[in-house]
Amino acid sequence: MSGGPPKALPSTGPQSLRDMPHPLAGSSSEEAVGGDSTPSPDLLTARSFGDKDLILPNGGTPAGTASPASSSSLLNRLQLDDDMDGETRDLFVTVDDPKKHVCTMETYITYRITTKSTRVEFDLPEYSVRRRYQDFDWLRNKLEESQPTHLIPPLPEKFVVKGVVDRFSEEFVETRRKALDKFLKRITDHPVLSFNEHFNVFLTAKDLNAHKKQGMALLTRVGESVKHVAGGYKLRNRPLEFAAIGEYLDTFALKLGTIDRIAQRIIKEEIEYLVELREYGPVYSTWSALEAELAEPLEGVSACIGNCSTALEELTDDMTEDFLPVLREYILYSDSMKSVLKKRDQVQAEYEAKLEAVALRKEERPKVPADVEKCQDRMECFNADLKADMERWQNNKRQDFRQLLMGMADKNIQYYEKCLMAWESIIPLLQEKQEAK
Amino acid sequence: MEQAAPDPERLLQPAPLEPLSHPDAGLESMVGEETKGARDEGPGDGTMTENNFSLKKIEISVSEAEKRTGRNAMNMQETYTAYLIETRSVEHSDGQSVLTDSLWRRYSEFELLRNYLLVYYPHIVVPPLPEKRAEFVWHKLSADNMDPDFVERRRIGLENFLLRVASHPILCRDKIFYLFLTQEGNWKETVNETGFQLKADSRLKALNATFRVKNPDKRFIELKHYSDELQSVISHLLRVRARVADRLYGVYKVHGNYGRVFSEWSAIEKEMGDGLQSAGHHMDVYASSIDDILEDEEHYADQLKEYLFYAEALRAVCRKHELTQYDLETAAQDLAAKKQQCEELATGTVRTFSLKGMTTKLFGQETPEQREARIKMLEEQIKEGEQQLKSKNLEGREFVKNAWADIERFKEQKNHDLKEALISYAVMQISMCKKGIQVWTNAKECFSKM
Repeated sequence: MSGGPPKALPSTGPQSLRDMPHPLAGSSSEEAVGGDSTPSPDLLTARSFGDKDLILPNGGTPAGTASPASSSSLLNRLQLDDDMDGETRDLFVTVDDPKKHVCTMETYITYRITTKSTRVEFDLPEYSVRRRYQDFDWLRNKLEESQPTHLIPPLPEKFVVKGVVDRFSEEFVETRRKALDKFLKRITDHPVLSFNEHFNVFLTAKDLNAHKKQGMALLTRVGESVKHVAGGYKLRNRPLEFAAIGEYLDTFALKLGTIDRIAQRIIKEEIEYLVELREYGPVYSTWSALEAELAEPLEGVSACIGNCSTALEELTDDMTEDFLPVLREYILYSDSMKSVLKKRDQVQAEYEAKLEAVALRKEERPKVPADVEKCQDRMECFNADLKADMERWQNNKRQDFRQLLMGMADKNIQYYEKCLMAWESIIPLLQEKQEAK
Repeated sequence: MEQAAPDPERLLQPAPLEPLSHPDAGLESMVGEETKGARDEGPGDGTMTENNFSLKKIEISVSEAEKRTGRNAMNMQETYTAYLIETRSVEHSDGQSVLTDSLWRRYSEFELLRNYLLVYYPHIVVPPLPEKRAEFVWHKLSADNMDPDFVERRRIGLENFLLRVASHPILCRDKIFYLFLTQEGNWKETVNETGFQLKADSRLKALNATFRVKNPDKRFIELKHYSDELQSVISHLLRVRARVADRLYGVYKVHGNYGRVFSEWSAIEKEMGDGLQSAGHHMDVYASSIDDILEDEEHYADQLKEYLFYAEALRAVCRKHELTQYDLETAAQDLAAKKQQCEELATGTVRTFSLKGMTTKLFGQETPEQREARIKMLEEQIKEGEQQLKSKNLEGREFVKNAWADIERFKEQKNHDLKEALISYAVMQISMCKKGIQVWTNAKECFSKM
């Protein structure tokens, strides 16, 4: 192999301690790593997705029948992870504290990025910088350029239709913040991407714009060469595993799209239900005004329906803010993965074509020329990187969806619990015998 | 039942209960004589009905419904539903019930019975029938009268009607009602023979009285107002409730789609597959649970509907009062006019304009004999009028007293029933919430195993 990438190839082992709670997340209930982190009932009340995650089993070991809640099995899995990976976490990144900036030319939001690291690549142990969306966008583009053989996590959607969504509303900003936090955490967890120099600059530079202007050419050699792969070669034999990944991604994206549509439809129906409820409750109040002995019970029912309406509104808001964006993110993710797969196909195609050209030249001792070797290099690197990333992605996907769907179930449970409480509390009122007036 | 019921005709005449006030009572004293606290314990016809047939301990049920075809009045074929009414008497000693009567009736016969009761007991808030046509339906519910769910709910409503009549202290003693339960053939003829349709007050007369009455009892004015408002608010409530049911149905059913897509998705997954698949199953359970939930809620809607229709029965009593009162006022007016006329003739002074007076002026005085004759006639009429006024006065007060007694009874019944309805509604909601929690907890469990 002629000169691999600067770092050793990432191990194909899956996540180790990826989902440890951030030591600086600042919540009082934060436990020490490896401790009793049983899943909290409200998984999604944490500020960002990764924060209160359980230490989940890696892809290699079977999940087994032990429920994640048992702390001893937790400890066992932790140790297993430790053995397999041999690394300890040494980089923590968080996105928080959104602030609005009003300038003459424009208004925009910045987010605080807090970095803590013991890595040598970082001069200081701790950094705190402010970044805006276009900075993230820049970072992602740079990563795509410089690490074309890897899967780069997606960013939340760039453009927002003005007038439809309020870019500065609390809900929108919070949803975006969560997505940006997730984005950086995914990069942080990536054994190759997290060492990328653009990433480093993003996390540490006081003045990012100056760096942007310098246009650092920090492409890896493989990256550089892949960038210049000519298109237009026809692929002969896509290796089975990549064909399978491609098919999987197609179906996966389709199913996610369907789920997105269903979720949207549910929210729409729930909102229409809410509209009717908001008319229904007050009619009991109107009736109550006509009655004597029935006045209190009727008023009570009216208030009860009001409480249920509020609970429903909270449910729909939560689903809109927490559920749908993550779903969409994964759709974007699989789209970007498809394009990486295409690039890989291109690299392979070019190699095959060149190889064929050599074979056709009919030399007595066909010596594989240097550039064909380079092609082969490229292809093999690409394949290896991609495979590793795919496995990592599969694992993350499983954890993410597990959390997402459990969250959805949780929200519905909470909604019903609120309603239950409202109706149960009204029963004594209804049964009470009225004193003679 | 061996003992014959008293003739319904007799039940109409009021019993003499209190002495009248002085004969030429002015208009004022006829009105608003409330007999506070003098609520009768038993039926208004107390003294006469000692050995009535009484429903010792009777169980009535409308146990079945059957589709029938027959020929109607115009000899055209029609399909209708017949309902089986079973009556059981409960022996005191051992509590066992014996089937005493069973016959089939159709809805129109129930209507006939009710119309009869309305005419003969205008001071009673007569229990309403279940609706003739399905109203306040939400989309899944059929508006078809032949729909089995509708027929079933109607069966329950008809049974409820009979039970209400049977438990009413006055209505339960009615002979026609008794025959309705016991005499299958010929009942229609028997009812019609009472000639109740002729005795019914014409709509026009009632409307006229409503507009022209000057001094109805204040309580009845309030009651009429209340029943209007009640009707309006319950209608509104039922309409919105139907829309709410519609929307709720939509929410639940869409979740069923999750079942399908999770299943499809699980096919391409390895570790996630099982969890997704089983969660999908719970989503299906969730989606199908709404059918039973909403069916139960229809019972609540039916309870509300009964009181919606009761509002109309209340108004009917108010209308009768207005009629009676107007009748009284008119009679008093006529009497006063005649008295004045008489006085004028006697004294020769003409205070009010009269055609006779005019013609007399124009064509000359009438002879003293003629005048005497007229005075005599008027005095006769006045005497008659005073008698009539006396009895109308009495009638009016009787009506007010008896009607108000039944209205108080009704109010208590209403408060009790509606409270019970609200409680059962709350219980339904609680059950729905618990089911929801159960399903989503199960789904969450499945997701956690992904």
